[in-house]
Amino acid sequence: MSTETTPATPAPDAALGLGPTLECVTVKVWELPVRVIHWTVFLSVVALSITGFYIGTPFVRVSPEPGFLMGWMRAIHNLAAFVFIAAILARVIWAFTGNQWARWDQFIAVSKERRTNGWDGFRFYAFMTSKPPAVLGHNALAGATYLVLFAMFLTQIVMGLALLSLETEGFLASTTGWVFTVLPIPWVRFIHHLIMWLTWGFVVHHLYSAILFDTEEKTGVLSSIFTGWKRMPVDRL
Amino acid sequence: MSRVIVDPITRIEGHLRIEAEVDGGVITDAWSSCTMWRGIEKILNGRDPRDAWYFTQRICGVCTTVHALASVRTVENALGIVPPLNAQLIRELITATQFVQDHVVHFYHLHALDWVDIVSALDADPAATATLAQSISDYPKSSVGHFTAVKERLAGFVSRGQLGPFTNGYWGHPAYKLPPEGNLLAVSHYLDALDFQRRYIEMHAILGGKNPHLQTYLVGGMAIPIDPNSQNAINADTLAQLGSLLQEGLDFVTQAYIPDLLLVASFYPEWTTIGGGLGNYMSYGDFPLGQQNPSMAPDDLFLPRGIILNKDLSTVLPMEPEKISEYISHSWYSYEAGDNVALPPMEGETTPNYTGPEPPYTQLNTDDKYSWLKSPRYDDTAMEVGPLARMLVAFGAGHERVQELVGAVLAQLGVGPEALFSTLGRTAARGIETQVLAEHSITLLERLTANIGGGDLEIHNSYRWDPKDWPSEASGFGMHEAPRGALAHWIKIANGEIASYQAVVPSTWNGGPRDGSGKRGAYEAALLDTPIADPERPLEILRTVHSFDPCMACAAH
Amino acid sequence: MPVLAAPPRSVLDSLLNSGVTRRRFLEFCTATTAVLALPIKFAPQIAQALETAEKPTVIWLEFQDCAGNTESFLRARAPGVGDILLDVLDVEYHETIMAAAGDQAEAAKEAAIAKGGHIVIVEGSVPTAANGVYCTIGGKTAVQILAEATMGAAAVINTGTCSSYGGIPAASPNPTGATSVPDLVSGVPVINLPGCPVNVDNVVATIVHYLTFGALPAVDGHGRPLFAYGERIHDHCERRAHFDAGQFVEEWGDEAHRKGWCLYNMGCKGPSTFHNCPTQRWNGGTSWPIGAGHGCVGCSEPDFWDTMTPIYGRLPAPPGFGVTTSVDKIGAGIVGLTAAGFAAHGIAKTVQRKRAERANETPIEIETTAAPGEEGAER
Ligand code: HEM
Ligand code: HEM
Ligand code: NFV
Ligand code: SF4
Ligand code: SF4
Ligand code: F3S
Ligand SMILES: [Mg+2]
Repeated sequence: MSTETTPATPAPDAALGLGPTLECVTVKVWELPVRVIHWTVFLSVVALSITGFYIGTPFVRVSPEPGFLMGWMRAIHNLAAFVFIAAILARVIWAFTGNQWARWDQFIAVSKERRTNGWDGFRFYAFMTSKPPAVLGHNALAGATYLVLFAMFLTQIVMGLALLSLETEGFLASTTGWVFTVLPIPWVRFIHHLIMWLTWGFVVHHLYSAILFDTEEKTGVLSSIFTGWKRMPVDRL
Repeated sequence: MSRVIVDPITRIEGHLRIEAEVDGGVITDAWSSCTMWRGIEKILNGRDPRDAWYFTQRICGVCTTVHALASVRTVENALGIVPPLNAQLIRELITATQFVQDHVVHFYHLHALDWVDIVSALDADPAATATLAQSISDYPKSSVGHFTAVKERLAGFVSRGQLGPFTNGYWGHPAYKLPPEGNLLAVSHYLDALDFQRRYIEMHAILGGKNPHLQTYLVGGMAIPIDPNSQNAINADTLAQLGSLLQEGLDFVTQAYIPDLLLVASFYPEWTTIGGGLGNYMSYGDFPLGQQNPSMAPDDLFLPRGIILNKDLSTVLPMEPEKISEYISHSWYSYEAGDNVALPPMEGETTPNYTGPEPPYTQLNTDDKYSWLKSPRYDDTAMEVGPLARMLVAFGAGHERVQELVGAVLAQLGVGPEALFSTLGRTAARGIETQVLAEHSITLLERLTANIGGGDLEIHNSYRWDPKDWPSEASGFGMHEAPRGALAHWIKIANGEIASYQAVVPSTWNGGPRDGSGKRGAYEAALLDTPIADPERPLEILRTVHSFDPCMACAAH
Repeated sequence: MPVLAAPPRSVLDSLLNSGVTRRRFLEFCTATTAVLALPIKFAPQIAQALETAEKPTVIWLEFQDCAGNTESFLRARAPGVGDILLDVLDVEYHETIMAAAGDQAEAAKEAAIAKGGHIVIVEGSVPTAANGVYCTIGGKTAVQILAEATMGAAAVINTGTCSSYGGIPAASPNPTGATSVPDLVSGVPVINLPGCPVNVDNVVATIVHYLTFGALPAVDGHGRPLFAYGERIHDHCERRAHFDAGQFVEEWGDEAHRKGWCLYNMGCKGPSTFHNCPTQRWNGGTSWPIGAGHGCVGCSEPDFWDTMTPIYGRLPAPPGFGVTTSVDKIGAGIVGLTAAGFAAHGIAKTVQRKRAERANETPIEIETTAAPGEEGAER
C-alpha cells in the first residue's frame, strides 16, 4: 500500500519544542475520503443533535399561526440521518480499502505493538510518563474510543431506523421491528436521546485530546484532519 | 351445626369468600375472606406522586373515579395545593354521577336477583304487570306491549336452555317473595338499567375521555380545559349535554329506581330486622360546599362527617382521622412490631405473609389469618361505612333533604327509623342517597356553569406542579366518600418520590376480618342471626353481603 | 309465546328475539366491518355468518383484575350492552354479573367447560409466586382455574393489559409474581386485547371476526389484532397538525390547552402507542383521553406501567437516579463532567510538562516503546 510522503524537511524551530537537531518528514495520513467523511459526520451530527434535541424537548415557542416547525425539524433529522448513515457506511468501507491509517486495525488493537502503544497512551494520560506514544495514525487508545463511538453510532442508527419504522410500514418496519421486542419503545427513545449526549461527551474528549496531542506531540494533529498531512521526526520513522 | 361456604360470592367486584356456621337454620358465626391481592401500595413506592392517581385508580374499575380523587387530594394535602373551583366542581360532578351510575348498577344488576326470581317472571301477566308498573310510577316504558315483548325475550332464552348469566341461579327458592308481575317488572328494568347506565356514564367520557378509568385527574386540578370559545374544551354545548344527561339520570332514579326499591322492599318486611350488624357508623363526609380539600374542612360538606355509635341517631360524634388504624392479626400480612398491634396508616406497612391452606382447599383456618384484607378500626372500634352510614350521619346531623327522603321511605314502608339498621335499610339508604346525589349533581352543574359564566376558566393550579418546588419531605392524607363508603389514602413523599403509600378502603372497613381482640368486621357481624332456609342454596347470605355492595379489588388492593 | 324445544339459537335469531330489528342488525354488521378495518364489502359476509353462527359459549374469568374490563364491556353501545350480554353471547360464567354463586357458579363453569369449544375471556393477571395463593376462587388458584378452563377451549381472548401482559400487578416490583395469560396457556389460540381497560368495540369486533371467519384476526408482535392495534395513536390523533406545527400545551389550562394543541410536552405517549383510540374513541364514540385534554399514557403497550411512567415526562426516568431526573439532566451532566475532567487533566498536564522542562532544560524526547518503524511509511 502506498502512502504519500514528502521528503525530510528542516525541523521546526526550537519553539516547537522538538529541538533544533531533529528533522521531520510529513506524511499524508488522512486521505481525502477520510477527511470528507469526518466532516460530513461532524456536520450531520450537529444537525441531528439540534433537530433531535428539539424533537425531544421542543424548546422553541411558536406563534399561534399554523406552521410546520416540528415537521421541518423531523424532516431535517431524517435527511441528516441518511447523510450520516451514508457517511458511516462509507467509513466502514474505507476501513478495508483505505491506507494503513484508515484501516480497521487502527481501531481494534490486534497486534502486540498496538496494544503496547495503547498502554503507552494510557501511561501518558495517567501522568505516568510525560511522553505521548509515538504514532503517525491514531494512537491505539484513540482508536479504541473511535470503536466505542462507532458502536454508539451503530446503535443510534438502528434505533433511529426503528423509531422511523413506527410511522412507516413495510420494509423498514419488518427489518427493525425486532428492536421493540428487545426494548420497549420509550427505552429506545431514551437510549437514542442519551447517545446524543454521549456523543457530545465524546466530542469534548476528542477536541481536548486533539489539542493536547497537538501541543505535546507537535505532529500537527489538529491541522491534519483538514489537510491530511502529519509531521514526524525522521528518527521515529 | 354445619359450615356453609360461599366462594365465589358473585355479583360483586372481586373475590370474596364467606364461611358461616349454621345452626338451627340461622347463622351463628361468620368469616369474611378476600382471596386476591395485588400489592398496589408496594408498587407505588419510588414513583412520581403525580402519577399515583393513575395507579390507584386501577385499584378498582367499578368505583373507577374514587381512588383517583382520593389520591390527588392526598398529594395536594401533602404539598399544600388548592385546586381551582372549576376543577373541584368537575371532580364533584364526576363523583356524584359515579354514585348514581354505581348505585343503579348495584341495585339492578348486582343486588336485584337476590330478591327477584326471573324464572317466575315467565308466569307474569303482561297486562297486570303494566297496571302494577303504572300504579307505582310514571316511568315511560310501562305498556302492555312492552312487558309482552320482555316476557317473550325471556321465554326465548329459557326455552333454549341458554340462560347465559342467569344459569344456575337460586330460582324457585322459597325465600323469593315477589309476585310474577313484580318479577317481570324488575327484569324489564334490569334490561333498561343496562342501557341507562351505559348512556348516562358517557358523561364521564365527555369530561374524562373514557369510562371506566377516566383520564383527566391531575394533582392541582383537572385536565379537561374550559373555554366557551373552543371546540376542544368544556363549552356551552358540553354543559348543555351534561345537563340533559343529569336530568335523564334524575328521571331514571325518580321514576324507576326508587319506585322499584319500594316495591321490592314492601314484599320483604322481615329484612328490616335482619342483617343490622355492628351498629357503629362512620362517614368522612364529602362534596365541599366552599372551595376546599375535604381533608381540611370537616364542617363545610354537603354530606356531613361524623360517627354514630350503637345505633344512637341522636348523637353524631366528631370524626378524627388520627384515630384510624389497621390490624393484621387475621390478615395475611405481617408487621415488624408483631401481628397484634394496630398501625396508623401514616406508619402503615404492607408485607404479605400467607399462612392459609395450600390450594386447592375446602376450608380456611379461621382461627388464624384468613383474608387479604386488613382490619381497619376507628378508636379501636369496628365501623360500618357506606350509604347507610352516610345517610344515618346526615339524618342525625339534620340534613334536610336526607331527613325528608328517609322519612318518606319509612312512611311508605310503614316502619320506624330502627328499620334502617338492617339489610334492607342498607339497600334503601343507597337508593335514598342516589336520589339526593342525582339532585345535587344538577346543583353542581349550575355552580359550575355560573362560575364559568363569571369568566373563570381556570382548571389547574400550577403551584408546585414542578417537583423542584417541593419540600424534600412531605406527608398528607386525602379523604373521600366513595359509593361504598369512607375512603382515605395516606402518602409520604421524600425527594420527589413516594416513600410510603397506604389506602384504607370502604370495603376493607366492611369486609375485613376480625381484629387483634377478635372483634368482627361489618359483614361478619351483619351475617349473625341470618336465617338460612336451605344451606345448599344460601340465598340469604347473598342478600346481606350484597347489601354492602362489596368490592374486593378495592378492599385488598 | 314461542316455546319450542329448538336447537340453540343463532346470533341473529337471538337478536331478533330480543327486539333488535333487522335494519339495526345490518347497521351493526357494517359498523363492525369498520372496526375490523375491513373493506365494506365484508359486511354482508358478516351478516350472513351471524345468521347461522351459534351463540358462542363464553366463560369470563377474573383474576388479579379491577373489573374495569367488565365495566368497559358493559358500555357496549351498538349493539347495546344488553344485546351483547344476553343475545350475541352465551355468557355462562362471569363472577361480576352471574346470578349463581358459590358451588352453583362453579358448577355452571364446569358444565360449560365440559361441553368444550367455548371462548375463554380473561381479565386480570395470574399470580404465580408463592404457589399462586395471591388469587384463589373456590379454593383453587388462578393458575389451576386457567388451566382447567382453557382445556378444550376454542380460543382465549385477553381483555385488558393485565391478562395480556401482566398489567399493573406485574409492575415493578411485581409483589405477587403476576404473569400474563399467554405466558401460561399453550395449545389454544390466544389473542390479546390490551388497554386499561379494553375498549368493548374491539372485543365485539374480535368475537364477530371469530364467528365470521372461524379464526382469530391477524396479530402483531405483541399478540394484538392489527385491526385495532396496527396503527399508532400519534398518526391518527386530531392534534397531530399542532404537533407538526410545533404548537404545544405548556401548562394545564393555558391557552394552548384550551385550544386543543398537542400534549407532547405534557408527557403524551401517543407517539409510542398502538391503539385505535383516536378513530374508534370510547363509550360509543363519545370521546377519548387526548380528546378530553389529557395525554395518552400508553395503556395498550406491554409494561406501560414501568416504561411509560412518569406519566408527565416524555421519557422514562433514568434508572437509579429517581423519578425527578431526566435524560437531559443526566446527559448534560455527563458532558459537563467530561469537560470538567479534561479541564483538570489539561491543567495537570501543563504542570507536568513545565516541571519536566525545568528539570531537564533539553527538549522532550519522544519516547518510543513500540518497535521503531511500526507506524512508518514502509509498512
Ligand atoms: C448521532 C446521531 C443522532 C442523534 C444525535 C440523534 C438525536 C435524536 C434525538 C435527541 C431524538 C429525540 C429522542 C426523544 O427524546 O424522543 C431523536 C429522535 C429521532 N431520531 Fe435521531 N439522532 C441521531 C441519528 C438518527 C438516525 C441515524 C436516525 C435514523 C433514521 C434517527 C431517527 C430518529 C427518529 C425517527 C426520531 C424520532 C422522531 C420522532 O419521534 O418524531 N436519528 N434523535
Ligand atoms: C461530532 C463531531 C466529531 C466526530 C464524531 C469526530 C469523529 C472522529 C473520528 C471517528 C476520527 C477518526 C478518523 C478516522 O479514522 O476516520 C476523528 C479524527 C479526528 N478529528 Fe474528529 N470528530 C468530530 C469533531 C471534530 C472536530 C470539531 C475537530 C476539530 C478540529 C476534530 C478533529 C479531529 C482530528 C484532529 C482527528 C485526527 C485525530 C487522530 O489523529 O486520531 N474532530 N474524529
Ligand atoms: N370499597 C370500595 Fe370502592 C368504592 N366505592 C372504593 O374505595 O369499589 Ni370498587
Ligand atoms: S387492564 Fe386495567 S382495567 Fe383491566 S383489570 Fe387490569 S387494571 Fe383493571
Ligand atoms: S397529543 Fe399526543 S398523540 Fe396527539 S399529536 Fe400530540 S403527541 Fe401525538
Ligand atoms: S392511554 Fe390508553 S386509552 Fe388510548 S389514548 Fe392512550 S391508549
Ligand atoms: Mg391498604
